[in-house]
Amino acid sequence: MASNLRPDVLVVGAGPAGSMTAKWAAKQGANVLMIEKRQEIGSPVRCGEGMSKEWLREVGIAPGRWINVEVEGARIYSPSEKVFEINEKHAGNEVGYVVERDGFDKQLAIDAANAGVEVRLKTAAVGLLREGSRVVGAKVKQFGEVSEIRAPITVAADGFESQVGRWAGIPTNLALRDMDTCLQYRMTNVDSDVRYCDFYLGKVAPGGYVWVFPKGEGLANVGIGVQVSQVKNLADARTYLDRWIDHHPGYAKGKKIDMVGGGVSISPPLKQTVADGIMLVGDAARMIDPLTGGGIANGCLAGKICGEVAAEAVASGDVSKEFLQKYEKGWRARLEEKLYRNWLAKEKLVTLSDETFDKIVDALAGVRLEKLNVHNILRAVQAKYPEVTKEFAAFL
Amino acid sequence: MANKKSLHIESSGQLCIYCGACVGICPLNCIYLDETRITFDEGICTRCEICVKACPVGAIEIG
Repeated sequence: MASNLRPDVLVVGAGPAGSMTAKWAAKQGANVLMIEKRQEIGSPVRCGEGMSKEWLREVGIAPGRWINVEVEGARIYSPSEKVFEINEKHAGNEVGYVVERDGFDKQLAIDAANAGVEVRLKTAAVGLLREGSRVVGAKVKQFGEVSEIRAPITVAADGFESQVGRWAGIPTNLALRDMDTCLQYRMTNVDSDVRYCDFYLGKVAPGGYVWVFPKGEGLANVGIGVQVSQVKNLADARTYLDRWIDHHPGYAKGKKIDMVGGGVSISPPLKQTVADGIMLVGDAARMIDPLTGGGIANGCLAGKICGEVAAEAVASGDVSKEFLQKYEKGWRARLEEKLYRNWLAKEKLVTLSDETFDKIVDALAGVRLEKLNVHNILRAVQAKYPEVTKEFAAFL
Repeated sequence: MANKKSLHIESSGQLCIYCGACVGICPLNCIYLDETRITFDEGICTRCEICVKACPVGAIEIG
């Protein structure tokens, strides 16, 4: 252990983005230490467990036992429960596999360890080390003892509740409207369909949606996200979710066997994710898709770029903010356009009435779209409900 | 401190589910999450109540 107190790259957090960063940095020759505050990677799970799958090959993740269910597509329910089906390929980054998230995180950590990364559990970052404006490592606490780990590059992969980025002076603060508060039950004996991930829109979940992601026959993750700016009372997320379940006999008869909560950012992309000696990645860098709330694919895609740039920076001896722009530019080229577009779409969606949602889903239910994009959706809606698309003139 | 409202996080296992939602949204970075404990810095906290809204299960009270 002592041999690695001065790694080239210190990764804080062993979630998907952290493990991916660590693995790719190690594969490029860097000496990497990844620390995780929990005693068990991936547990407790704080996730709906839905993810798309076409990106996995791009970052070198092989399918494994962590796959629970492979779905055919998504069903979008309007407030009066008209349904619109979307094939998995077009359904966004929450649809494809439903996974055992703890198993997924563990597999990614194993991949990182096998690439040469050293992992320390039960080790939390409690502060940053600095030389002038440059971050040169972190102060960590392991089993109650505080020590210092110096590293030319520190990577903040510390998730939604990230503190490391803020310690480094990178603004990651969220406004109330930029976050959904989420709650989910694992339920058994429910009428979910293993072929579909289901999404319920409208006032059932203000500024978010209710999801049903199948885990197996009669077993599903039933959850909700509510925009914090639309929360009126204490525990609204739980109140809305319980109400939704009560109103759906196929779920009201089920039994809850697990409960998880969490925060999801639904903000536009951050303006800055690097500073001298430090990079932010994944949920910590607010890379969650603001429309779907999915963060795993984006965290992993950015993690690969982050790891590669970290190794390159260390090898070149230049860990300045200027050099790390390579990561900033790289992840933006891969993800930013879609993040921004989906943020715009979400900003519009949260303003729609239940009546409008009904019309949109009704219009889409009757047609078969060759390619699912905003333009095609609006054309289909325009054909049936021309008055609805007036609000969307800018998108047409 | 006498005039300040007190903030209370019910994290003794009855309400708090240790999800970190409050930690992520605290504008002053003054809430901390261990796996089985949430603490906050009374000296920094301004009682803005943003964490109260962000908590999915209503475990935070300011009174």
